[in-house]
Amino acid sequence: MIRATSLTKRYGDRTAVQDVSFTCAPGTITGFLGPNGAGKSTTLKMLCGLAYPTSGSSTVLGRPYDEIPNPGRHVGVLIDASAAHEGRRGRETLAVSAQLLGVPDTRVDEMLDLVDLDTAAARKRVAQYSLGMRQRLGIAGALLGDPQLLILDEPANGLDPVGMRWMRGLLRDFAARGGTVLLSSHLLHEVEAIADRIVIIASGRIVAQGTRSELAGGHAATRVRSTDDHTLRSALHNNSIKVSVANDGALLANASVETVGDVALAAGVALRELGATRDGGLEQLFFQLTEKAPGEARDTDAPASSPPAPPPVTPVTTTLEEVNR
Amino acid sequence: MSALATPVYEIRAEARRPGFGRLTRIELRKMLDTRSGLWFSLAVAAVTLITVIITALVKGGHDATLARMFNNSVEPAAILLPVLGVLLVCGEWSERTTLTTFTLVPDRGRILQAKLAAAILLAIAALAVCLVCSVVFGELLPAPGGAGSVSIVVFAQGLVFLTATMVIGVAFGAAIMFSAPAIVIYLLLPTAWDALSSTIHPLKTLSHWLAVGPTLGPLATHSFSATDWAHAGTTIALWMMLPLAIGVWRFSHCDVN
Repeated sequence: MIRATSLTKRYGDRTAVQDVSFTCAPGTITGFLGPNGAGKSTTLKMLCGLAYPTSGSSTVLGRPYDEIPNPGRHVGVLIDASAAHEGRRGRETLAVSAQLLGVPDTRVDEMLDLVDLDTAAARKRVAQYSLGMRQRLGIAGALLGDPQLLILDEPANGLDPVGMRWMRGLLRDFAARGGTVLLSSHLLHEVEAIADRIVIIASGRIVAQGTRSELAGGHAATRVRSTDDHTLRSALHNNSIKVSVANDGALLANASVETVGDVALAAGVALRELGATRDGGLEQLFFQLTEKAPGEARDTDAPASSPPAPPPVTPVTTTLEEVNR
Repeated sequence: MSALATPVYEIRAEARRPGFGRLTRIELRKMLDTRSGLWFSLAVAAVTLITVIITALVKGGHDATLARMFNNSVEPAAILLPVLGVLLVCGEWSERTTLTTFTLVPDRGRILQAKLAAAILLAIAALAVCLVCSVVFGELLPAPGGAGSVSIVVFAQGLVFLTATMVIGVAFGAAIMFSAPAIVIYLLLPTAWDALSSTIHPLKTLSHWLAVGPTLGPLATHSFSATDWAHAGTTIALWMMLPLAIGVWRFSHCDVN
């Protein structure tokens, strides 16, 4: 169980995190989604006592993190896999933590086995590790104390597709056993593939949160191409249907396939393509919510938007940014 | 890849927080289990050994007394070991292992205490090595008049000397947080102060009280008078307590990046 209440972090004039509140329930995976620099890591660090909030508070397992007597036995934390001593061997890195946690040394080998780092790799110094190996070592470290809660910052970073799939399985299994998982990512499809709940953060504020279907509902649900997109777009606008443009030029409409078909027929536009979007418009929503309009970025005086309702989205006609996948 | 082999996730009885002894042992382990830490410690031991041998050979004829050999053997450790003390703290920040250390032990004050304890234990171990080297080589290459002995008082003062410089190293590390500037400032600042206060007339009186070299150096040489102790005490207060106070605050309050 994780509860963040109005977490705010300011560095001088700059507000990195503003009024962030959310909860993570046992048995679920929460995806903390946002572009780079949105405040994800800062928020996670505040949850673990690594950064001190300017205001607001958080509890982990019902108490502030720093009041858990031996936190590694309850909470597995991986903030940055590259943050390991370069000159220490992989196994020794875990063995030091194991000694600190008071778990038997055999647990180290179990975890190395679990994350598929063999004896040869475990003997190497961390300096020789690839990012993927460091990520595995970090996950082994997080699981060392047999925790019931995991806080992972960009855990899929540096993992190959096989590794990502393995990680998804591991986290699903963890949650299925009643564990709580909070993981951050800047990649929508990564979060979408695993999270039960999604919390979207942009410019330090939570702009939306809910289950996947709650968030996606109605947003850019239909993808359409026609011989005359300009006319179709006007027709959709006239029917109060929000339209945006995908990066391949197709229109994305916030309405059902049937409605869009009817509007096109009434407007006399011949369709070339019509169908529901693969993710129910989640991607479109993500870009609309996290896109920084010029001059709007980090406006610290604006009132905090109250989740979970996404802020009203005006008809967006911008081109999608290239999706990094 | 195997499935997660640990099925139990119900809330357990609170695992107790690690004791101070365990934290200290871990800090000692961390000091020596990295490539740089291990080689640095071995280098200090090697330099100590070489110093003792050279002292024994060069001064062999007339005054290779045990006391002199002991005094000489402590010097390299006194200069080099505190660098290990600096790295003990700065290494955590520069290698970003604070991310792990602080999440496993959120009470940062206890970590710093454990680091100080580990540093002091290392200083004691180093002193033991110095004494053993001195005695062994004093026996092998005895002066005509006999090797003599090291008085308990001088040995104890040597202990104060080494532990004080070691703690000063940790304090500088905690206060400055970055390895390179911390080491440079640790090594240069007291020396610069010594040089400055011995050349600039109005500062000369002060140098008796605050100069590290002149007030602490002789600790391993002869037993101290009350005045000597007063001088050494004020020096320690300035060079240890001030950076330590700053260091404790910064270590406990800085965000981890």
